[in-house]
Amino acid sequence: MPIQGLEIIQSSASLRGQGTGLRVLPTVSKYIDTSTCIGCKACEVACQEWNDLDVAATHQTGTYQTLPTLHADFWNLIRFHEEEFEGGLAWLMRKDQCMHCADPGCLAACPAPGAIVQYANGIVDVNPENCIGCGLCETGCPFDVPRFSSKTGKMAKCTLCVDRVDNGLEPACIKACPTGCLHFGLKEDMVELGNSRVKQLQATGFPNAMLYDPQGVGGTTVVTVLAHGDKPERYGLPRDPRVAFAARAKEWIKPFGIFAFGATIVGLFAHFLTVGPKKPHDDNPPRAGG
Amino acid sequence: MAQAVSSPDVGHADPAIAVARHTEDVVVGDRIVRHSLASRAMHWTVGTSFILCFLTGMPIWTPIFGWMAYLFGGLQVCRWLHPFFGVLFSVGLVWMAAAWWTQMLMKAADRKWLSPRYFVQYLRFESTDPETGKYNGGQKALFWMALLGGLALFLSGLVLWFPTVFPETLRQISWILHDVAFVAFFLLIIGHVYLAIAEPGTFESQLDGTVSKPWARLHHPRWYREVTGDQRK
Repeated sequence: MPIQGLEIIQSSASLRGQGTGLRVLPTVSKYIDTSTCIGCKACEVACQEWNDLDVAATHQTGTYQTLPTLHADFWNLIRFHEEEFEGGLAWLMRKDQCMHCADPGCLAACPAPGAIVQYANGIVDVNPENCIGCGLCETGCPFDVPRFSSKTGKMAKCTLCVDRVDNGLEPACIKACPTGCLHFGLKEDMVELGNSRVKQLQATGFPNAMLYDPQGVGGTTVVTVLAHGDKPERYGLPRDPRVAFAARAKEWIKPFGIFAFGATIVGLFAHFLTVGPKKPHDDNPPRAGG
Repeated sequence: MAQAVSSPDVGHADPAIAVARHTEDVVVGDRIVRHSLASRAMHWTVGTSFILCFLTGMPIWTPIFGWMAYLFGGLQVCRWLHPFFGVLFSVGLVWMAAAWWTQMLMKAADRKWLSPRYFVQYLRFESTDPETGKYNGGQKALFWMALLGGLALFLSGLVLWFPTVFPETLRQISWILHDVAFVAFFLLIIGHVYLAIAEPGTFESQLDGTVSKPWARLHHPRWYREVTGDQRK
């Protein structure tokens, strides 16, 4: 639910946001260090609890992962990947959640005015009141995050605890993290923190470490330190995420279509004035019996 | 084919209308029955379901037409209704295909009608090729394009209806296909409606089912000759 008083800079199916756009507001960020995550899942519990989400039934599939994938009632999932590297086996844990892209594919795809909004602080939020449950946000998202809830008929995803952030608190998951692998703050501070951690990793046996802040989607509000930064796929992250092609194509098809409709109607009206109508030359006798 | 039904006692003040309930391609008095009631019911099943799809789909396509959603109670209702109207539209098109496909096969005269030279002549409303039958090349082309467009809209619409059960790539293709097929289809429909207005007498053939003899002779000369037996060209 959009937070009253937070300035909106982008709104789905609308030309622009509702804010004045005059104030320069700071953008926030969540920092995730996968190299110090121990997979304790405290963040999952905190997320469920703060957001009052139902507990989804789990079943054992031979992994420590709580659920196979994100769910409309489960917005924060620690993914466990067992990957072979030159140095041996690595057990990679990554916090899967909405990345809050600067250029959000879900928002570009959404046909319902105001159902997905982006605040000036960078958080991408959903408004169930306006959501029509079409599922196009799922198609538009390069990270496969939004989930359709068959229970409510609406889309749901991580809100970056915007209700807490708006009140000067950090997101619930960060509050719960016992190792300090999660941090919350201004974007530039989190990027700085990430870069210094990457340097540390590079100096201690992970030469390919990098901070995942993909520029194909304008950067993300959630930045992730990857020890094996040359292989983001091993963590289940796309190498170069982009807003889905169909969402971009729509931005061309729509104006072209509307222009074509208008031009055709105008053209045919001109045709009628100059050429039409086409009537028989013969006498048109009145209808019998009429 | 050249039979004339002229009994005044057929149960309607206008005998042509009574005959049009069950028969077509016959002369009744000074009218010719062009579309039987079954043909007209089929045509308007396709037509009204298309309009309903249009009104519920346009506000989802772009917010510029968001006001159309209020006719149905909002965008959420449109998202729910649109697929059902789409199914009705598809059923109408299957009915149309079954009823008309034999009459819509392209003949030599139709290919000639569709050649650039004759097409331009047609657009200038100059003359009609004397070999034009009940349906001209343009009408036949519209029929096949409507079926092709309808198939594309149905298949892509099915994927968009249940997005979560289809893979990502298929959803993206369907999304683009649904938009492009709609734009093309609607352009055809604008032309179709325009010609019904610009060629007076045409619209009546889809209301009471009948046309005047001069109309038939002007627009569909070979059909006129076949139905009336009047061999004047």
